[in-house]
Amino acid sequence: MRTAVTCALIMLLGLAAFSEVSAGFRVVTSEAARRLDVREHAPEIPDAMLVGAGAPAYSLRGDLARDGRIALVDFIYTRCESVCSVLGTEFQQLQQEIRKQGLQDRVRLISISFDPADDGDTLARYADRMHADGSVWRFASVADSQALRPLLDAFGIVVVPDGIGGFVHNAAIHTVGPGGRLTRIDDLGEARIALRSALARAEVASR
Amino acid sequence: MSPRRFALLGAALVAIGTAPSLRTWLEADMARHMLAQFPLLILAGAAFASALPSRTRGAVAAFNAHGLAGLLFCLLVSAFWMIPRALDQALLSFPVELAKIATLLAAGGALQLSWRPAGLVVQTFFIGNWAWMTAVVGLLYQDVSTRLCNGYLLDQQVVAGQGLVALAIVLPTALIALLAKRGVLAGDASETTQGRPTGSTAQ
Repeated sequence: MRTAVTCALIMLLGLAAFSEVSAGFRVVTSEAARRLDVREHAPEIPDAMLVGAGAPAYSLRGDLARDGRIALVDFIYTRCESVCSVLGTEFQQLQQEIRKQGLQDRVRLISISFDPADDGDTLARYADRMHADGSVWRFASVADSQALRPLLDAFGIVVVPDGIGGFVHNAAIHTVGPGGRLTRIDDLGEARIALRSALARAEVASR
Repeated sequence: MSPRRFALLGAALVAIGTAPSLRTWLEADMARHMLAQFPLLILAGAAFASALPSRTRGAVAAFNAHGLAGLLFCLLVSAFWMIPRALDQALLSFPVELAKIATLLAAGGALQLSWRPAGLVVQTFFIGNWAWMTAVVGLLYQDVSTRLCNGYLLDQQVVAGQGLVALAIVLPTALIALLAKRGVLAGDASETTQGRPTGSTAQ
């Protein structure tokens, strides 16, 4: 009898722990948990001073609010050869799509570098390589290295050294509103879905 | 070995698994994290349990007939720390890391206190369940083309998966070999009772 009660208690504690780590038996990976959390809570991102190509430092939140457009944000480092270049082409196609459909007054793109080695010049060269149109697609790095960690944490970005001089990170497309809330995370390859939902959001906001 | 020696052995194993620089090194790779640190902590827990005086063992046994509660705990703990998000959280959050160390030590202790009382049938059931669960997780780790843990690289995940599958084959095989050596598997029912280790009387 005592063993049965002990087993029942262990089961209960186990269920509670499994439920906690899996967000109520809905996810098994941190990435899925991050996306679920963003959809349900739309967390506010902390402010950070950004530097872009040839411009003075500016506040991310201030810029989002002033600009007023929905921003699709990704995190990159310019030396990246693998997944960020996929993100790069993905954002290139998004830029084309935005210009073709004339949506540049509603949606824009921001690529933020998490690599301290990326300065204004490097970013400008990278932007050139990507044929970025400054009115649609901006590149920036975080001015104050102290502010990088909280920003990455708020977005849920985990950067791991890949052992051969580069980084591996959970690359995705993040939808951020002018109010500084992160409302959606889409996979690479789902740029069109990200764009469509950003437009829907812009529509709702403009009503 | 004397209880004192077991306690020292446990302390040494915990130190190897959790000393700051070693811990960082072990946890930097998914395969080392799961296939080296976890077993170290489980063995440490078992060593600590071996150092317990018989009065404490008796008190535990009262709640652990046939080792059922202890083995259930072991199964749940080992399943939990195979969840990718749990691994990620252990890397990012210190309280989760502490919980991981504590539960793995406790699982090792529970295993030590439960194995003999469990007897052949419960032992086989436990190992069988653990093995298929571990094998399925190991195959999944190798099969998915995306990273399951944000904190680990894809190739580490594949190695960890291979290691889990290997363990899921080696441990049950070792158990069968051990039983065969003891002559428990000769097919005579009376031998099964004979082969039951002493100490299975705790209810």
